[in-house]
Amino acid sequence: MEAKGWISGDESAKEMLGRVLSRARPFLLLPPLHRVPLRPRNVLEIVGPSPSAKTHLLIQAALTCVLPVDWNGVHYGGFDGFAIFIDLDCRFDIFRFSHLLKLRLASGSVSEIDREQNNNTIKRSSIAYDEELYTLCMRRFSYVRCYDSFEFLATLKTLHYRIQKEKAYGNCVHMLLIDSIGAFHWIDRASTCLPLRGSNRKSHSVQTVLETVVQEIRKLLLLHPMLAIATKATLFGNRAMNEAKWNLRKPDTSYSQIGGITALQLPYREYMPSAWQTFVTHRILLRPSDDHLAVSDDQNHSVYFSEWLLPSLSFLDKFIVKEAGVFLVA
Amino acid sequence: MAPLKSLEQEYPILDSNFQSFCASHDIFSVEDLLLHDLYVLAAFAEQESSSERLKQGIAQVLSIIDGQHQPWLNGIELLEDAQRNKHVLSTGCEGIDLLLHGGLRVGQLTELVGPSSSGKTQVCLLAASNVAKKHIGSVVYLDTGNSFSPQRVTQFICQHSDPAIDQAKHRTLQKVMNNISCKSVFDIFTMFDVLHQLEFNLRSQMQGGDCKVQLLIVDSVSSMVTPILGGSGSQGIHSWHALMISAGYLLKKLAHEHNIAVLDPTLRIRLKASDLKNGFRNKKGKNQKKGRKIV
Repeated sequence: MEAKGWISGDESAKEMLGRVLSRARPFLLLPPLHRVPLRPRNVLEIVGPSPSAKTHLLIQAALTCVLPVDWNGVHYGGFDGFAIFIDLDCRFDIFRFSHLLKLRLASGSVSEIDREQNNNTIKRSSIAYDEELYTLCMRRFSYVRCYDSFEFLATLKTLHYRIQKEKAYGNCVHMLLIDSIGAFHWIDRASTCLPLRGSNRKSHSVQTVLETVVQEIRKLLLLHPMLAIATKATLFGNRAMNEAKWNLRKPDTSYSQIGGITALQLPYREYMPSAWQTFVTHRILLRPSDDHLAVSDDQNHSVYFSEWLLPSLSFLDKFIVKEAGVFLVA
Repeated sequence: MAPLKSLEQEYPILDSNFQSFCASHDIFSVEDLLLHDLYVLAAFAEQESSSERLKQGIAQVLSIIDGQHQPWLNGIELLEDAQRNKHVLSTGCEGIDLLLHGGLRVGQLTELVGPSSSGKTQVCLLAASNVAKKHIGSVVYLDTGNSFSPQRVTQFICQHSDPAIDQAKHRTLQKVMNNISCKSVFDIFTMFDVLHQLEFNLRSQMQGGDCKVQLLIVDSVSSMVTPILGGSGSQGIHSWHALMISAGYLLKKLAHEHNIAVLDPTLRIRLKASDLKNGFRNKKGKNQKKGRKIV
């Protein structure tokens, strides 16, 4: 009886695939994050020096998350869920977020907004959008600031209950956005104190803090399937590139061909502990280029490169940041 | 962070039994609890005799931890707070206001960058006099290089007023100058002290009233860093980095929580290639930043 039940199984393969695939549909994010399909429980790290539009990509992802798929006949292509934004950099501009949302609502898809913007200048006050949908989307965006790593840990520990509360109302959280994960690295590193009494007591060091952070996020992702995106600012710029530039004797062919950088020779210095590095499943590198794109007479946008490091894709995307958001440049 | 012993008075569930249970897992304070896995702790508590009470204690500590972080806000609440509190302060100079899209933004840290003798302190003095005169808010000026000049501020204030009525002018001048408080700080630790004191005063102060601080000028943080910079090898750089970042966070917190605009003129020096090789991008590295930089 028991053994028979064990052999006959719980569900067929078709049922299982139907269950799993409906829950874990891949997220199709806007460019330049569109090259690799991202699923819930993936951890994407956006790396880059400052400034390289990292926070902007986070904002764009958050917008896509809070928008519905369809509303009143207009297709927005959003994920219809909550987005949680943990701001460790404390530089988030809500006016920019609100403006981008209004532009998206007014025009449906991103390419349409761009076309409209190019044709006529839309003044900020005269954007027509659906007030009800705007309020709904803004309410789906949850934001918290953390001024030190204790507050960050406290937030992560209590996040589970907050998400559960939202689930009780029927809202599900689809994204966890962290800006930026290395914010307290230097403070924690300098404040590593001497071992306290009782040799097993965990001291507050970069290692233990980050291990706890990784542990908490891992638990959260297990309990609530969502996509985690974290930005990380690189320090001291692109050391390998700089050294290659000054070392005139050596032929620097390996660095001049930008696309030829393999995952082993990281173009920046990795400072996060290995606990975080192994936790990350996807990694994309952004950096500003020296080119500028003249969109119109008075606007000069700087072009950024984006390169997928994990999985390692061998080409670069170029994008600019305009008023309506991020746009790829051919 | 509080040791668990001190919390017993306020939360009687965290009694000595709970404390000894935590001590057996090397947890003596709330900080230690933050670094531990609470589910694992609850599983250990299951095996104890007083498991129910211990688990209640853990739940109590979780609610204490919930009060340790900043409040959660949704988009609408953020927007309302920004529209209500985070207005723009004019600096008094039209050209700079144009670059800043209106002026210094309350709730943000604006960095004024440039080589020496480029007029940074003058802009700060102008902004201070303008805010004190027009916005009925007080200004706190932290001076690290004896650059504050009351005569110059007086000049700025008296520039546009009617030279006819002397008495009234004198009284307004008095009132405006009273709104600017200047403090000299010569090392970074004194600066931290002053800022913490300011934060304490602002938290315990009542809302409203004329004396609300609107502008905080720190002239300048970078000049206090150089003594530490010369420290031995890598240690010096790391502690410098950490101090600068902590100062940045403290200023950002003051700006956002207490609705103050913070202005910081920074000396940016031209670097040689040898400096770059050693990993120096600029003297400030990654620290207090806001996207509005004026060179």
